[in-house]
Amino acid sequence: METNATTTGSAKLPAVKLALRAGGGLVKLLLIVYAVLTLYPLYWLFISAFKTNQDFFNRPYGLPHAWMKENIVRAWELGNMGRAMFNSAFVTVAAVLLTIVLGVLAAYALSRFDFRFKKAIVALFLAGLLIPIHSTLVPLFIMMRKLHLLDTYGALILPYTAFELPIAIFLAMAYMASIPREIEEAAMIDGSGWWRIFGSLILPLCKPIVATIAILGFLRFWNDFSFALVFINTQSLKTLPLSLSLFSDGFGTDYALTMGAMAIAVIPTIVIYLLMQEQIMKGMVAGSVKG
Amino acid sequence: MAPAVRSRGFIALALLPALLLFLVFVIVPIFWSAYYGLFDWKGLGSAKFIGLGNYEEILQDEIFWRALKNNLILVASSIAGQIPIALLLALLLLRNTLFSRFIRSAVFMPMVLSTVVVGLIWGYIYHPQFGLANAVLEWLGLESWTRAWLSDPKVNMLAVSIPINWSNVGPYLIIFIAALQNISSEIDDAAKIDGAVGWRKLISVTLPMIWGTVVVSLVLCISGSLKAFDHVIVMTGGGPAQSTELLATYMYNNTFDVYRYGYGSAVSTMIIVISALLIGLQYALTGRKKEG
Repeated sequence: METNATTTGSAKLPAVKLALRAGGGLVKLLLIVYAVLTLYPLYWLFISAFKTNQDFFNRPYGLPHAWMKENIVRAWELGNMGRAMFNSAFVTVAAVLLTIVLGVLAAYALSRFDFRFKKAIVALFLAGLLIPIHSTLVPLFIMMRKLHLLDTYGALILPYTAFELPIAIFLAMAYMASIPREIEEAAMIDGSGWWRIFGSLILPLCKPIVATIAILGFLRFWNDFSFALVFINTQSLKTLPLSLSLFSDGFGTDYALTMGAMAIAVIPTIVIYLLMQEQIMKGMVAGSVKG
Repeated sequence: MAPAVRSRGFIALALLPALLLFLVFVIVPIFWSAYYGLFDWKGLGSAKFIGLGNYEEILQDEIFWRALKNNLILVASSIAGQIPIALLLALLLLRNTLFSRFIRSAVFMPMVLSTVVVGLIWGYIYHPQFGLANAVLEWLGLESWTRAWLSDPKVNMLAVSIPINWSNVGPYLIIFIAALQNISSEIDDAAKIDGAVGWRKLISVTLPMIWGTVVVSLVLCISGSLKAFDHVIVMTGGGPAQSTELLATYMYNNTFDVYRYGYGSAVSTMIIVISALLIGLQYALTGRKKEG
């Protein structure tokens, strides 16, 4: 619509031009309204996090009477948020690293070598993209109970990595297809082995796609609720989303406190989003299209 | 090239860890759940083989059919909500100005939030006493429309679907913008010479050009809607009276609330079968579009 205004406007009467411009302004206004509607729940979360419960009930949409920083402190202490944040950070970092190492290595083997069953293996990983994770919760629970993996960090790190591998492998394979083979052939002549070629040549060249894989993994693992809900029971191992859901049960009527806990939980993702939004948007789109 | 033996060792070491982890945690559980689905088993003690008994019970349980219907409601609302909103926004936010970049990042923002946070915030928005939803309706003079959004079985699936739509418009917006920006300027010029502008251009030039992307988005929408477990567990837990039960929450509640592991496994297998059917349907649809 706006392009019409610029391309055909010159041939039209000034009044028409003005009307088109006004239309463009209206469109902009509506877009702003939509953006505000999208952001409002978050804004509301943050103002509510700094209210007293009374203030919250009396003026749910106004700014806080007095900014109650204590809410955040109390939520942090009562909800054991420090521990939960450490748990989330630990499993996320471990699973992201494992996904990158295993995924990029496997992608390299699958994209550069020919061997028996290669097509079958690629097809198997491809099928992994289509498996709904919730359908594996019950069998994984039973299996991990037998392996005594329940209620350990491994109960999250291993399934997170396993379910992220297909996306990581396909993103990395697609990226490696654009790296010319001549680079490796030259290194081969120099007498380098495959491990050396991978470590000192291929991996550094794959940096952009490794960043994408890391972002996708970070968001998925940090925000995961289903696996943590089913596989983790011990208080000291609970991740942020899990603690948060239980916190809201336990302190159900202390709304200000629950809001404080939620504010703590979303700040890391929002900060990372604000810092790297272009990469996150592109990465999530690449991940979802392949998925 | 290097001696074959050295390559073979490298391939094995590079591929096997990933393959093993993937097989053990993703592929094997599917067969396990198919196997456990044949037993009456409380999780502890001995399991009793009952053949297809669990499946017979599933198909006769009206809650299962309600859960399936609720899943399909989510699919329909996602297709009717996310895709048109994202497409409209994409057409308006096509140019890379500072303004449209700002709106894009605002629309994408909910995507990075934890589903638990999304569920909790919207739970408060729908709260019968202090919730924003009712407050807005009262302010508009529509008191008769106010209600307990998450407990009224007539509207609660709709209420559940709104936050899911709210948080998922972003990716489709970015996908559509990328597709629209790929349309070459020559086609734009040709359309202009032929006098196709405004709506006519949209329908006869722009939409056909990005139709492949629209189909991909529909596919993503369908598989995405099957993943709505978290929102429902946090907002309603499948209740009240199992009115917002989804297939995944039905499986979860049967397994971990009433400890029917065999039955839960059978439901897991049903979820896989249903997704496979949906995916097959998607491929049939997308395949036809490509030919056309």
